[in-house]
Amino acid sequence: MNTISRRILLFTLTLLIILCSAAVVHAVTAEIPPSTGVATLPETSSPALPEPNKDTCFHCHVSGSFTNLWTPFARWIVFGAAGVVFLFGFTRSASVWRSKSEWIPIPQRVMAWIDERYNIYDVLEPILSKPVPEWQRHWWYCLGGLTFFFFCVQGLTGIMLAFYYKPTPDAAYASIQMIENEVLFGSAIRMVHHWSANGMIVLAFAHMIRVFVMGAYKPPRELNWVSGVVLLTATLAFGFTGYLLPWDQRAFWATTVGTEIAGSLPVIGDLALVFLRAGWNVTGLTLSRFYALHVLILPLVTVASMGLHFLMIRRQGLKEPL
Amino acid sequence: MSEEKENNAIPFFPDHVALEAKVALGFAVLLVIVGIIGLFLPVGLQEPADPMETPLHTKPEWYFLFLYQLLKFIPKTIGATAPVVAILILSIWPFIDRKPDKDPRAVRIRLIISIALVLIIIGLTIWGEVT
Repeated sequence: MNTISRRILLFTLTLLIILCSAAVVHAVTAEIPPSTGVATLPETSSPALPEPNKDTCFHCHVSGSFTNLWTPFARWIVFGAAGVVFLFGFTRSASVWRSKSEWIPIPQRVMAWIDERYNIYDVLEPILSKPVPEWQRHWWYCLGGLTFFFFCVQGLTGIMLAFYYKPTPDAAYASIQMIENEVLFGSAIRMVHHWSANGMIVLAFAHMIRVFVMGAYKPPRELNWVSGVVLLTATLAFGFTGYLLPWDQRAFWATTVGTEIAGSLPVIGDLALVFLRAGWNVTGLTLSRFYALHVLILPLVTVASMGLHFLMIRRQGLKEPL
Repeated sequence: MSEEKENNAIPFFPDHVALEAKVALGFAVLLVIVGIIGLFLPVGLQEPADPMETPLHTKPEWYFLFLYQLLKFIPKTIGATAPVVAILILSIWPFIDRKPDKDPRAVRIRLIISIALVLIIIGLTIWGEVT
């Protein structure tokens, strides 16, 4: 194919993409008909006909027979995705065709662009190319990483719950009821937060037993074990403080009994009791305190200890079993 | 480590990361299933908290249940001190047991100790659950 015909084809394709983009822009910015809240179907006088289907559906948003807050967004997603796919294909074909060279994948280009400026490849290379021998691929070396995964899930679902939860004795119970009954996927998020907390505790214990049995706490990894004990304590404290937050009978009395046991410690008993309850009784102040511990202090402690935990094991490597 | 085993090494990135991502993905699918179950059977709530009315049965979460069960047989002060002392001993354990392992017997002894402890804890938890 000679240069002239190649240029003509390229010009035609460019024209085509401009026209297509114009059509897409017109489609997504076209005026949305006034919403009636439900699907607008022509009135029928015949009572024998079944009820019109009022269910919302994705294609109803796109076609415009149903409109609400999500409609512009849904349209942009559908037409925008199509446009992005088309643009990508066009750019790629044109680029290969013009330069006659191999197509460089976009992630590789982004990495090259960053590396040109910050030279991170030299830093990352020894970390990323480090070989992982076969003995490190046993399932029990997964336990610590999975605990971290569950912690991430806890953080994510916890933030979602915090959008709706109200940490006051008057409103806490009602806000949990609202999360369970009214918030979209609220009960699913709460369920995941509940079970992932249990899973995290099981996995943290399993990880600790694995490290203990293999003797991986011995020199030079002592501080790694200490940071692990801090993490385990923080995990249990997460469970204890989170248990009060629904402010139902079980939560209230479990906390009452639990703090009472802490109160029977020798020497510092009363101090511990008053510190935990923010007074002599479990009140709204206790709820505020547990909430602050649960969403601010414990996550900070956990993230800091986890950072140290990972850094140290990265430096020292796993202990080779005998 | 023998030469043969070292030869089976895979690069950390992307091979090993991909392997770990698959495991994480499996657990993510599990959590999505848990979430779908939650849509139909929510965690739920008991009655609102009432400081005036003590319920008949108060039980802590399962991971504190073995301590709670232990408290029924030992004085309260010792029962409250035991977990604190246990955490302190755990923290300084690597500074107590510092001899490097020479033979696999040490691993076996620690395995037996941990299995025994886990069985005791599971036993106490089940006992606390049924009573």
